[in-house]
Amino acid sequence: MQTDDLISLMTAGHRPVDTGWLRRVTWLCALAALAFTALLVLLVLGARRDLAVAWLTVPVIAKVLLGASVAGIALSLFQRSLRPGLRPRRFLPLVALPIVAVVGWAALTLLRAPVEQWGMLIFGSYWRACLIAIPLYALLPLAILFGLARRGAPVDGTLTGACAGLASAGLATIAYSLHCPDDTAPFLATWYTLAIAAVTAIGAVTFARLPRW
Amino acid sequence: MSRSYLACSHEDVPALSLDELESQLRPVFLAALTGDEAAYRLFLDTISVRLRGYLRRMLTRAGRSEASEVEDVLQEVLLALHLSQHTYDPASPVTAWAHAIARYKLVDHLRRTSRHAGNQPLDDQAYHLAGPADSAASEARLDLERAMAALPERTRGLIDRVKLQGTTVAEAARASGMTETAAKVAIHRGLQAMARFFSRRGERPG
Repeated sequence: MQTDDLISLMTAGHRPVDTGWLRRVTWLCALAALAFTALLVLLVLGARRDLAVAWLTVPVIAKVLLGASVAGIALSLFQRSLRPGLRPRRFLPLVALPIVAVVGWAALTLLRAPVEQWGMLIFGSYWRACLIAIPLYALLPLAILFGLARRGAPVDGTLTGACAGLASAGLATIAYSLHCPDDTAPFLATWYTLAIAAVTAIGAVTFARLPRW
Repeated sequence: MSRSYLACSHEDVPALSLDELESQLRPVFLAALTGDEAAYRLFLDTISVRLRGYLRRMLTRAGRSEASEVEDVLQEVLLALHLSQHTYDPASPVTAWAHAIARYKLVDHLRRTSRHAGNQPLDDQAYHLAGPADSAASEARLDLERAMAALPERTRGLIDRVKLQGTTVAEAARASGMTETAAKVAIHRGLQAMARFFSRRGERPG
């Protein structure tokens, strides 16, 4: 077939294009994934017993803010990574801002506490549960975002995968905060951050190995 | 008075610099996105000349100089552009968008077709070189029509009418007994099938 014929054909099949679709769908998918994941956490793990009073306390709000800011930044970059030519990789360090804030808060907490308490402050009661639950509950949002990425044109698969991983971990963090009974800043800074990093790595490695579009 | 040091030497620029191309092409593509067919045709004609030059240069550098191969990759890139229009951010340069897609598809092509490819240096400068079609060579080696074999007979007839006889979609749709919207959807499916044909081609030899 001649290239000119192909161009004629593409012109003939041309219809108005909605360039905002990808952005809207990304946010809608994220909200739906968050709702499902939170529901799953409530059904499988159950809410923390004191949720009725705890949800307005600083630690729970901090967990939600950490998850929301990581997910928000990552989703915005994820959506841009599906659009060729934008090169959003340079904005990736922005995700470190909320993490740095949490780590700073944790360091302050530790400095003000006696050394004997450090172990308790860092490890809490359920650090293993946190480390397993967040990556596990991030799988649903991750699958949804991977599916969505096929509708875009990701030219940097590692970046798209990492952003999807970060966003999923952020959403899972919000959901898991409904259950997680450990409320210290050092706990948050250690295990939540590690869990988020793990999901990011899984996302980046997995997505880069999927078939190219 | 002191000599002016502000006078700078202007480098010789190619016939149309990337910036000029961008400022020319962006309004055209934005019009195309609203559904303007003539603008879309102009965009595709202009960008394909540019992309052909880029691909020819890159393929030559990778040791491939067959014109039909350039045309193969160009058609694959054009299909990708067509099917990815919704990924264009209207606030960004359209040439950067098209170039990023071309580069991705070129890397793909080199990986598929060469045992030791994938690490060729891709020089962005080559994008500045335009390449008009050699009339004898703008026929691609791959027969895309094979990709359409799986489509319904009516759709194939429609595509042949538009492609070969150059009729408008409205006329072709009427001749095929379809509404214009249905005809456009059918053509879209045909183009998707062609793009799939391209991306699956590497799975088996030949």
